Amino acid sequence: MKNQSVLKNITIGFLLLLTFILIATSTGCSNQEKQTALILYNENDPFINTFARQIEELISDIPNCQLETIDSQNSQIIQNEQIEEMAARKRDLLIINPVDRLGSYSIVKKMKDQKIPIIFFNREPLIEDLNIWDKAYYVGARAEQSGQLQAELIMGLFGSDPGQLNQYDRNGDTSIQVVILKGEQGHQDAEIRTAEVVRAFRERGFKLEILITEVANWNQEQAFEKMEHILKTYGSRMEVLLSNNDAMAIGALERMRQEDFFHDTNGNGRIDPLDEDWLPVVGIDGLAEAVKEIESGYLYGTVLNDSLTQAKAIVELSEYILGMRDLDGMNFTIIDNNYIWIDYKVFTLD
Amino acid sequence: MRNLSIRQNILIAILGIVFSILLVTGIIFYTTFSKRTDTLVESQSREINKQIVLNYESYINSVIETANYIQYASLNLDVNSSAFELQNIYLINSEIKRDVVSIFLFNSQGIQILGDPVSNSRKDGISHESWFTSALAENSIFHFSADNSRSISADSEEQVISVSRAVSYTDTGENKNGVILIELNFRTITDLAEKTNLGPGGHILILDDEDSLIYSSGTYDQIRSRESIQIAVQNYFGGFPAEIDAKVMHMNITPLSQTRWRIVTVNDVDEVAQAKRRMLLTLVLIFIVSGLVASAAAVAISRRISNPMKLLRESMANIEKGDFYSKVSISGQREVVQLASSFNSMIDTIRSLMEKVVEEQRDKRKTELRALQNQINPHFLYNTLDSIVWLAENNRTDDVITTVVALAKFFRISISRGETFIPVSDELSHIRNYLTIQQIRYQEKFSYVFEIDEGIYEYMVMKLILQPLVENAIYHGIGDEQEKITIRGYKENNLLVFEVENTGYGVTEERISEMYKILNGTHEVNSVGIRNVYQRLKLYYGVEGNVIITSKLDEMTNIKLVIPIEIPAELPADLKDNA
Repeated sequence: MKNQSVLKNITIGFLLLLTFILIATSTGCSNQEKQTALILYNENDPFINTFARQIEELISDIPNCQLETIDSQNSQIIQNEQIEEMAARKRDLLIINPVDRLGSYSIVKKMKDQKIPIIFFNREPLIEDLNIWDKAYYVGARAEQSGQLQAELIMGLFGSDPGQLNQYDRNGDTSIQVVILKGEQGHQDAEIRTAEVVRAFRERGFKLEILITEVANWNQEQAFEKMEHILKTYGSRMEVLLSNNDAMAIGALERMRQEDFFHDTNGNGRIDPLDEDWLPVVGIDGLAEAVKEIESGYLYGTVLNDSLTQAKAIVELSEYILGMRDLDGMNFTIIDNNYIWIDYKVFTLD
Repeated sequence: MRNLSIRQNILIAILGIVFSILLVTGIIFYTTFSKRTDTLVESQSREINKQIVLNYESYINSVIETANYIQYASLNLDVNSSAFELQNIYLINSEIKRDVVSIFLFNSQGIQILGDPVSNSRKDGISHESWFTSALAENSIFHFSADNSRSISADSEEQVISVSRAVSYTDTGENKNGVILIELNFRTITDLAEKTNLGPGGHILILDDEDSLIYSSGTYDQIRSRESIQIAVQNYFGGFPAEIDAKVMHMNITPLSQTRWRIVTVNDVDEVAQAKRRMLLTLVLIFIVSGLVASAAAVAISRRISNPMKLLRESMANIEKGDFYSKVSISGQREVVQLASSFNSMIDTIRSLMEKVVEEQRDKRKTELRALQNQINPHFLYNTLDSIVWLAENNRTDDVITTVVALAKFFRISISRGETFIPVSDELSHIRNYLTIQQIRYQEKFSYVFEIDEGIYEYMVMKLILQPLVENAIYHGIGDEQEKITIRGYKENNLLVFEVENTGYGVTEERISEMYKILNGTHEVNSVGIRNVYQRLKLYYGVEGNVIITSKLDEMTNIKLVIPIEIPAELPADLKDNA
């Protein structure tokens, strides 16, 4: 009997020790705070960077909500690992800017399995993928709208009448000679923006002569490089430069300035559309640098991919998903169960 | 705990400590080890998977680059005016790239515009081919399909992967929509997969977005791949351990960018699991061996401690039995030796105390004995002197002389130069003197006779032992009739027996038992004579000395004295010296 009680004591002591070790090694954190993660395809993308800072700032205003920002370094494999880890850590919500929009279906399936809501942004997953789960959302702008707005900007400049183009039709052939700087070939946005801007002109009856569609992969340097050849070949005939994004437009402007394109011919002390050799260059995105170019008169305008409004929509949607906000209390409308669409905005000096 | 021996306590304590330390370190060691290996296995198989996926991705990217280039060319060149140039681009691309079987451009109705010749049998069904319909349905992406396994080219029957996408092309200055198709050699995919070593049971699976198997690698049976497909389908993407075909595997699922396919790599990590099992086995072995060693050590230590204690305990048991002269001698631990020497000195003290007590007791007894011996004399002396006075008053001079002489002899023997033991002859003459005196005093109211074996005269006997009996016989025997006192002495075995028998009324049994009580001192009585005898007898001779009283009513009373022949060794010798 005595022996047994000794053994019992030893056993109990052991169990206590083991429990202690187990407790000490496991992270016993169970607070009421909502844990969310923001996963970016590439933090080095200035637009995404700005976008992320806006989301972070807005979420920091929400009480009891933690946000962790993660950079996927432009690799879907890395991003998948990060999502896996976040899922394992039982995050309450994942805000994902996918690297590969086609890979979203497996993310949606897995998160549906783990019951973790997701908000995609900036890269739109396929409808069929988003429809897999009603807690998978997309917040973004319609890519086609950006092309349309770009076209409208130019059409306005040219007098809005396809039959009677104003002085910006330099050779007076009632047709607009354009050079298009395209984003990554095959990239959804690049394809859509390019197609839509052209379609919008033609829809309104404007005659368009595409001198060249050059792929510069969204990249400022590539645009700068490729513009050398383009200017040599088409520089004299070019009437409009349409760029799929601001970065490429800025690269092009750099090359154009280098090739002696813009002059203050009317001597008003600044570059503006009234100068004789002024050429309209338009971008998309509304980068801070682009705004500077617009203010200095070189860039005619840009179509603002309104990241601030998108960030607001993402944060409101997050609040809704986390049960902190009613559907009625939202300033944005969820369309087709999974979407919040944010309009592009035209940004010019006016 | 109270009832356990030292040995058990030490054993439990040592084993408890050893086993708890072993168990805790073992558990910590094993968990750390297995965590480490798990992490290692996971990161390794992830790395392998990543490498495979990167290989595929770079391949896919090159395919897409080709497709983009062709698409870009189609957009900038007019299919009508620059037909030859474009056709060249198509053909050269399908020619140069070994993995590209053929490249085609179809218009939105499925009629071929550019590219390799289409086999006649397939020509009319293009618009119903799955790659064609899906390309038109979702026009923003490339569609990778492995369903339609045979090339549509007229020149080839190869198994192909169809890469299709809706494109816009320029036909006579007009933008038109069509579908571009690039057929890839299926073998390319196989080659990419087979380069990797995934262990004996490892394999690669490629699943499409509908979870159907596009490709599986390696030599393995169908069941296993079906098993791994099932696990892959349930887990979408990520890395995790999985048991396939009763073997420990590590599965990694990664979506392949652009394609909506998923690459599943299954690594055989059974060897690692076995290593873990071996480690566990080794640990258990260590546990058992060190447990045994610890037990042996514990037993040895506890023996070393408890054995001297046991010896000590045995020595103590000896002493408990009364042997105060043995010493405890123990070598071993200092504490036990100290304990033993303390014990020894304690026993020494006890012994000397005991001896002191014994001595004191002896002294006390000596004093008592002397007092008992002396008690006899005053009574008798008083009475004798009385009778001498009476004789003198009656002018019986001869009797006075006889009495005084007898009295003198009586006392000489009584004193006997201080000896306690005297020869039987002396004792008998002592009684004769006494009887002489008493006969004169009682005017011959009794007669006496001695029946003594001559052989006993030389034996030593405690002095003045018979006189009280004779005195008693005289007092109790004197009545109306002439009384006769017989004094017998003889040897019986190793005993001397003296009998003093007197005729008379005798005594009843009750009286006899009363007398025994008096002898034992349980009854207070005035006459102390026989009791003195009895007590002295017991003091000197112990159990061997005895007084037996017998009686026949109206006939006689007999008091028998039984004494050992040998003079008691110790005590009387002492007394002899000091008396």
